[in-house]
Amino acid sequence: MNILPVRKRKRRNIIPGFGLSLGYTMLYVSILVLLPLSMVFINTTTMNWSEFIETITDERVVASYKLSFGTALAAGILNVIFGTIIAWVLVRYPFPGKRIVDGLVDLPFALPTAVAGIALTTLYAPQGWVGQFFDFKIAFTPLGIIIALTFIGLPFVVRTVQPVLQNFNGEVEEASASLGANRLQTFIKVILPELIPAILTGFSLAFARALGEYGSVVFIAGNMPMKTEITPLIIMTKLEQYDYAGATAIATVMLVVSFLLLFIINMIQWVTNRKFLHS
Amino acid sequence: MSIQIQNVSKAFGSFQALDRINIDIQTGELVALLGPSGSGKTSLLRIIAGLEELDQGAILFDGKDITDVNPKERNVGFVFQHYALFRHMTVFDNVAYGLKVRPRKTRPSKADIQKKVTELLKLVKLENFADRYPSQLSGGQRQRVALARALAVEPKVLLLDEPFGALDAKVRKDLRRWLRKLHDDFHITSIFVTHDQEEALDVADRIVVMNNGKIEQIGSPEEVYDHPNSPFVYDFLGNVNLFKGRIQNGKLKHGSFEADIPELFSQNHEEAIGYVRPHDIQIEKTKISEDAVHTTISHIHIIGPIVQIELKRTDAEEFLEAEVTKEHYHSLQLKVGEQVYVRPKQLKVFIPEDFSI
Amino acid sequence: MAGHIPLQQTPTTIKVTTVSQEPKAIRWTLTFIALAFLALFLVLPLVTIFITAFQKGWETYVAAITHPDALSAIKLTLLVVLITVPLNAIFGVMAAWAITKFQFKGKNILITIIDLPFAISPVIAGLVFILLFGAQGLFGEWLFEHDLKIVFALPGIVLATIFVTLPFVARELIPLMQAQGTAEEEASLTLGASGFKTFLLVTLPNIKWGLLYGLILCNARAIGEFGAVSVVSGHIRGMTNTMPLHIEILYNEYQFSAAFAVASLMSVLAIITLIVKNLIEWKAKHT
Repeated sequence: MNILPVRKRKRRNIIPGFGLSLGYTMLYVSILVLLPLSMVFINTTTMNWSEFIETITDERVVASYKLSFGTALAAGILNVIFGTIIAWVLVRYPFPGKRIVDGLVDLPFALPTAVAGIALTTLYAPQGWVGQFFDFKIAFTPLGIIIALTFIGLPFVVRTVQPVLQNFNGEVEEASASLGANRLQTFIKVILPELIPAILTGFSLAFARALGEYGSVVFIAGNMPMKTEITPLIIMTKLEQYDYAGATAIATVMLVVSFLLLFIINMIQWVTNRKFLHS
Repeated sequence: MSIQIQNVSKAFGSFQALDRINIDIQTGELVALLGPSGSGKTSLLRIIAGLEELDQGAILFDGKDITDVNPKERNVGFVFQHYALFRHMTVFDNVAYGLKVRPRKTRPSKADIQKKVTELLKLVKLENFADRYPSQLSGGQRQRVALARALAVEPKVLLLDEPFGALDAKVRKDLRRWLRKLHDDFHITSIFVTHDQEEALDVADRIVVMNNGKIEQIGSPEEVYDHPNSPFVYDFLGNVNLFKGRIQNGKLKHGSFEADIPELFSQNHEEAIGYVRPHDIQIEKTKISEDAVHTTISHIHIIGPIVQIELKRTDAEEFLEAEVTKEHYHSLQLKVGEQVYVRPKQLKVFIPEDFSI
Repeated sequence: MAGHIPLQQTPTTIKVTTVSQEPKAIRWTLTFIALAFLALFLVLPLVTIFITAFQKGWETYVAAITHPDALSAIKLTLLVVLITVPLNAIFGVMAAWAITKFQFKGKNILITIIDLPFAISPVIAGLVFILLFGAQGLFGEWLFEHDLKIVFALPGIVLATIFVTLPFVARELIPLMQAQGTAEEEASLTLGASGFKTFLLVTLPNIKWGLLYGLILCNARAIGEFGAVSVVSGHIRGMTNTMPLHIEILYNEYQFSAAFAVASLMSVLAIITLIVKNLIEWKAKHT
């Protein structure tokens, strides 16, 4: 094979604006996201290792991790159960006023968190409309935090499961029924497996949001050290005491957890996409 | 406008989409780029339009190198495979677009645009659909809008990517003839990409058969169909029967089959394949020559005016397909299970090493 | 990613045949559970806000929302929104253009970076700007010498809000433009249109509903952001208090009716947001 002289060509794009749009995007995220976030890690290095460990493993801080993690987990599970039911009902069953109910699901995204916080606190306080019916305290306990976090995370599971149910191929269910499966078997063996990636994604999103949530929680939590003090509040408190190093150290822990969650969410989506592409 | 494609190569990563392609296209010609998917035909079309960069080589319009000219200045009309109509614009606005976006100095007046677009819509028989949106049209209508839109800018070259690919059989045929007629009226140099051999044979003046980024053959429809110059072209254009055997003293031998191959006189090859079109297979009730094979009729398919006959060779576990007219079929009075002799009327032999790389 | 609601969800009931239908009792039970849950968690809080706001009568309500501090909080919030939303909209369009119309290395990393603010606690979003521009921050000394104020002033609030709402428009446009591909832009270019005209006449009309949708979500979050703004604002009454911060102060001072009065204003905005959002969904489906 004889080799022809190759005329090297500069690659250019047919559609214009690559340099401008990518340049602008990179500059914007660098200044507004990457630079500020890197400050957390840079500032952490002003502490030495033992100080850092001491700060992030302080008894009160560890209690806040447990609280934040536990309440976010509980809220996430509640959202998985009720979110799936709500999505199911919205997609499958006709009832009057469905459009409005469907629109209302996004309320937690639209309503300022502080507004949600004071409203929920008023409702679930011992003398509140709902609180008065219970012998035990809801607001100002971890239970109240779970309620606020459930409110905040509600749309995530509903909105990830809903489209999957909507696009679900009814023929598959009919096939299952024609092969002799009853309704429950069809749900567990045919429908649920298809929903699981969406449910997992919705759960991770709600969980990630709940871990960092501040606005709706501070009002209902009562903010008692060791008992109802969430991690973001500890950062806030340290900032108010001008303990920047301490605040930054705890922020580092939270950031690492956030990155991990983001990674897990992307993995779920990657695995699901791959699964669907191959089938 | 004439088009010269000179030594064009293009790779996507490690995939060589086009490998040193050379084609000369005369002014007013209608050329088909024919090949299977992945053969590089669409890449070549997009390179001609300037929608894709080439790695090497040059494109000349009327002898002028336009390789570095961007698509906006090439004055080509491009009809996209899925039409790429502007979905938020009416049919009228779609067709008028190319005129409306011209710089003020060269932009026709509103009245002129109106006149021109109306003319074009009449030409594509969509004058009553001017106010519709693309989503309200059928596939064939969208295709015609796409064509009118491309013609509105009075292109010197018309490029069509699988123009009939997404349409159903009946519409396809009508539109095919209509495109041919349109071309005969306007005489714009046109290139269209297709994977459908029938389409290429029916419409084009010349066919460029492509495979694996290379040109297999260029020629008129008759040439490429009747005288394929490679096994690939034989295979790709129409059905074909294979006689795999060896060449001994200028004869192709396979089982009890022996045929004289004068052009390979006194040659010996271990491997050779004879290609015969189904309609070049003669069915006879008695053996009259050496190159006839004994077969049993296994199936008879009557498809309208032609009859396809599947035959099983007695001397080998191989099947042959013959195509005869209904008249001929009736005169032979063939039945399934009947034993007949089969003789190739025209046989082309390829020696594998000739075309292997 | 978190906070991202994809456009084009419709509350249509899918066709259910007899074999894929649950018994009536189960249907009713599930519907009841779903509606009860939504009533308890969404409707009841919303009702509480309005009832509490008007508990002490119309005069108290009007007084609360026309108080100079309330008015200045409303003004500041509007100002922040007016700066933040257009900036993030331009960014969103630019980012979506780069990501969906071109191939380049590191694209997935860029998308993940754009997602980051959704995954990060708003408190940290505020903290990072204190670390940059606060008195002890990286640029603190320089800013002090030049008598510039970022933290505990408008620029800080704007920066924190931009950070928190950065992904909304981009996140809405990326999947939309990905699905639309580049064919229409290419068609426009072969018809002789310039890049800018192609964007204006072809791309923009195609993405307008998605863009508007992203704007609405971005706007809602910008108005209501609490945690991040709380960190950088300094809570200076009548100066650096946004509406959510003003509500917090009133609430902590046991002025419940006033707090809920301002909260009711914000709830009305939220309801309008939901209505507009649903209108856009409807529009996007029917054009």
